[in-house]
Amino acid sequence: MTNLYALLTGIAMGFLIQRVRASSPAMILQNLRLENLVIIKFMATTIAVGMIATYTLNLFIPELMHFDIKPTYLVGVLLGGLIFGVGFGLGGYCPGTCVVGIGEGRRDAWAALAGGVVGALVFTLVYTSAIQPIVALLDFGKITVQSTLGLPAIVPALVIGALFLVVVKVLPTQIKKA
Amino acid sequence: MTTAAIKPSAGVPNWLSLGIVFGLVGAASILLWGPIGVSGTYPRLIGEIARVLDPAYAAENPYLVRMGSLFRGETFLVVGLLIGGFLGSRKDKTKAPKLENPHAGVETNGKRYTEAFFAGFLLLFGARLAGGCTSGLIISGMTQLSIAGFVFAAGVFATGIGTAKLMQAMRLGAN
Repeated sequence: MTNLYALLTGIAMGFLIQRVRASSPAMILQNLRLENLVIIKFMATTIAVGMIATYTLNLFIPELMHFDIKPTYLVGVLLGGLIFGVGFGLGGYCPGTCVVGIGEGRRDAWAALAGGVVGALVFTLVYTSAIQPIVALLDFGKITVQSTLGLPAIVPALVIGALFLVVVKVLPTQIKKA
Repeated sequence: MTTAAIKPSAGVPNWLSLGIVFGLVGAASILLWGPIGVSGTYPRLIGEIARVLDPAYAAENPYLVRMGSLFRGETFLVVGLLIGGFLGSRKDKTKAPKLENPHAGVETNGKRYTEAFFAGFLLLFGARLAGGCTSGLIISGMTQLSIAGFVFAAGVFATGIGTAKLMQAMRLGAN
C-alpha cells in the first residue's frame, strides 16, 4: 500500500506544483528577486497548514503517524543549503520541480535532471573522503523545536503555524510588475 | 483535487488554496506512509546502476548501502510528480514554454541548457550533503518542526536570493 499512497501523493504534489507555477523557472526567479512572493507564500501556507494538521492528528492517533525527523548536523545542513540555494537561484528548479517540469514538456528541466544525476554521482564518489568528515561536525541528531524547548509538539506547531499564516497575510503578493 | 477554486483569470495562481491543499496532502502523507521527499531518489538511481555495472563498488560504498534500493515509496512519489505535472499542464490554456529564460537580458538556448545542468548539479550535491531538498527538508522538515528544516531553508534562501540578484545585476550590466 505504501507505494500506491506514495504514487498518489506524488500525483497530487506534481499537480499542485504545476498549478501554482512552481515548476516555472521564471516564476521561481521572480520570487528569489523578491518581485512577487507567490511561491514563498504558497510554501509558507503549505508548511503552516501541514504542521498544524500533522500535530493535531498526532494528538488523537499518535500510533498511526509515520514521522521521519531529519538529523541536524549543523555544518553539513547549512553548507548544503547554501550550495542548494546557488543552484536554485541559477536554474530556477528544485530536484522535484524539474520532474514536474518534464511532465509538462519543459526541455531545460531535462538538463537540470541530468545535472542532478551527475551531482548525486559525484557526491557518492566523494562521500567517504569529503562528506563523512563534514556531516560528523556539530551533529545534534534528530532534534526538533519541541524537543529543544521541552514542550508538547502541538504548542510550537500552533504558534509557528499561526505566525507563518499572519506573515503570509500581511506580506504583499506582487511587489514589482515583472 | 479542489481545482474549482483555482481561477487563472487574474494571472496570479491561487497560492492560498493550493497551499492549504498541499499542507493537507503533506499531513495525509505522514499519516499514510511517510513524509514527502524527492532528492534521495537520485543517489538510489545511481545505486541501481552501480549494482549492475560494478556490484563490488556498490556493495562497498557506504552511501549507496545506506540509501538502499530504488524500489520504495519515494521513487513512486517521483513518478507521481511526472504524472501530476502532465495532468496540471492539461488545464493550462497555453503550453509551458520548452525553454524559459528566468533571468534578465538575452539568453541563448545553449546557455540555458548549460545553466540548468550546473544548477541541477549544485541542487543535488547540496541536497545530499544536507540530507534533503525543498520537499524533504523545507516542506516535510519544517512541517515536523525539525531544526534541520529551518537551518536548511535559511541557507537556501540566503544564497538563492543572492544568486538571483547577482545574475540580474550581471545580465543587466552586460546588456
